[in-house]
Amino acid sequence: MRLVAAELVESRQILPGQWIQSFHAPELATGSRAGQFVHVRTGDYSGLVLRRPFSINTADPATGIVTLHFRTVGRGTEWMTRVREGERIDMLGPLGRPFEVDPRSHNLLLVAGGLGMAGVRMLADEAVRAGRKVTILFGALSAGHVYPSSLLPDEVEYIVATDDGSLGHRGFVTELMADYEAWADQAFACGPHPMLKRLAALAAGRRDRMGVAKLGRKRGGPTDALGSTAARRKSFLQVSMEQNMGCAVGACLGCTVIGVNGPQRVCREGPVFASDEISWESIA
Amino acid sequence: MTSRKKVASSPGSGRVRVPTGSAAVAELGVSPVARPTMTERDALDRIDLSVDIAPGRGLLLSNPILVASGTFGYGVEYGEVVDVQRIGAICCKGTTLRPRAGNQPPRVTETPGGMLNSIGLQNPGVDAVIEKYGPIWQGWKVPVIVNVAGESIEDYVEVARRLDGVPGVAGIELNISCPNVGKGGLQFAIDRDAARAVTAAVRRATDLPLLVKLSPNVADVRPIAKAIEEAGADAITAINTLSGLAVSPDRTRAFLGNTYGGLSGPAVKPVALRIVYEVAQVVSIPIVAIGGVTNLDDVLDFLACGAVAVQVGTAIFADPELPVRLGDELRAECLRRGLSSYGSLIGTALPKRTGAASSKGAEYRP
Repeated sequence: MRLVAAELVESRQILPGQWIQSFHAPELATGSRAGQFVHVRTGDYSGLVLRRPFSINTADPATGIVTLHFRTVGRGTEWMTRVREGERIDMLGPLGRPFEVDPRSHNLLLVAGGLGMAGVRMLADEAVRAGRKVTILFGALSAGHVYPSSLLPDEVEYIVATDDGSLGHRGFVTELMADYEAWADQAFACGPHPMLKRLAALAAGRRDRMGVAKLGRKRGGPTDALGSTAARRKSFLQVSMEQNMGCAVGACLGCTVIGVNGPQRVCREGPVFASDEISWESIA
Repeated sequence: MTSRKKVASSPGSGRVRVPTGSAAVAELGVSPVARPTMTERDALDRIDLSVDIAPGRGLLLSNPILVASGTFGYGVEYGEVVDVQRIGAICCKGTTLRPRAGNQPPRVTETPGGMLNSIGLQNPGVDAVIEKYGPIWQGWKVPVIVNVAGESIEDYVEVARRLDGVPGVAGIELNISCPNVGKGGLQFAIDRDAARAVTAAVRRATDLPLLVKLSPNVADVRPIAKAIEEAGADAITAINTLSGLAVSPDRTRAFLGNTYGGLSGPAVKPVALRIVYEVAQVVSIPIVAIGGVTNLDDVLDFLACGAVAVQVGTAIFADPELPVRLGDELRAECLRRGLSSYGSLIGTALPKRTGAASSKGAEYRP
């Protein structure tokens, strides 16, 4: 974690209201892992008192470029779209705990809803680099909101669902899960909380449906503590959660979600959690 | 400097009593004015920003910029990006007798010029705090003031008793003004007699320097401040957050899980200034001001209204290095004005009238 002056290199609107911005920030590009985020400070003149958290969309250590993918939802993100190339903005990061991939997992299923693509996008890069097979299930309102396949690595299989059926499967992306749960060794998801909640319910029943033993559990051996890196690595589903955030370093306790072991800080224990860490009945 | 000597030799008479090293130097007749031969660095180093915010009991800070409870965790969270040892003091997260899980999320939301929070005093309980952080704080140069919250006088007393004598705990800040929990002690901050009772009870339980944090959610804060002073508090912190509300995007309910939240940030600064200004005229114990500080001008405003030290809170979230930088900037400001300490910046905006009860202390100002 450090404060970085990230220079905007490129800013482009990839979809109506959705932007991908590239920043030159070698300190972030080299030290970040998929699932982590940065906390971006808006301009002093904006009158906004809080930073904005963004998943690190991609990070390339070779060029020192990190990208952020966001939608303009308020004054903070609108300010960001007005930053000019060459200007530097203040980022705190990398923050939070990353996705944990089991070394034995070969087939990774990434599930993204809307802007949730930004949460899992970097994991696709990491997995492809490591020689894993990646399928991305992506859900959006309609064809006009679908993340362009041209922005994904060629090696990735990309399956789309739209609510209105204008592209791909008609319905929720979670309905595609059944076709892939046998193929996938592990699944990683980011998107609206109802989507994650549905996925968690599906994942909870998967073991029984598949008739497979839980990965890595030796008979009679000790179980890893809930929330530990080891336990997460062995979990089938990991989810990247979202919450309004204050400090992003674990000091203010503002960004908690309710876990089975009490409140969990999205910024510190998360944003990635194993799905069995979250108390899903508390999630609307 | 004659007026400063007069202050130093009149204990208890004025509210400008900032015992600093340079005050002693001034009394010895040594010129505190920077000699032109000094380099600026040397000159800056000579400026004394130290302040005792609990005179008589001793809570000496290296500079008057503190970090506010709830915004800096236990001092360790920001350790990777901030040199915490250069902060005047750290007020840690509100601590209760037993662990508390806090309020339902969402707990924070941004508002114009500020934010609402309703954390709900989530903390692991005083014993866990002492066990986990005490040894860390003990090794620190920066004093750590433990913010204490409770539901009853007995709670406050018990927490204070357990903190008493713990190495690494430099003082206690009584949080009798948390607006975000059903029984967060706010009942103690809105009633003069209750404020007096809880302050006196804690005073009897511990010899630690004792700060009491005022709530702005009252009609007139002055009788409460006076009661707290009379009950033996060493200093007053003003102010806690203002009770507020935000509406959910679909407008079907309140946004925060707890319905109500506490407003902080630049939006509350005028309210905080007003309360510091009022309290400074009725008490003679030091006032530690807090409310919307984001730059040196804000610090100088609070000093001018009678505060001897200033806490930085919400602004840390955007600018974690701000508390350290404000100390540096205050030092530079003193140099620019040719001051050897910042004592003469305190209380300059208070009413100059003498004699009237509301201007107690003003007669000693230059």
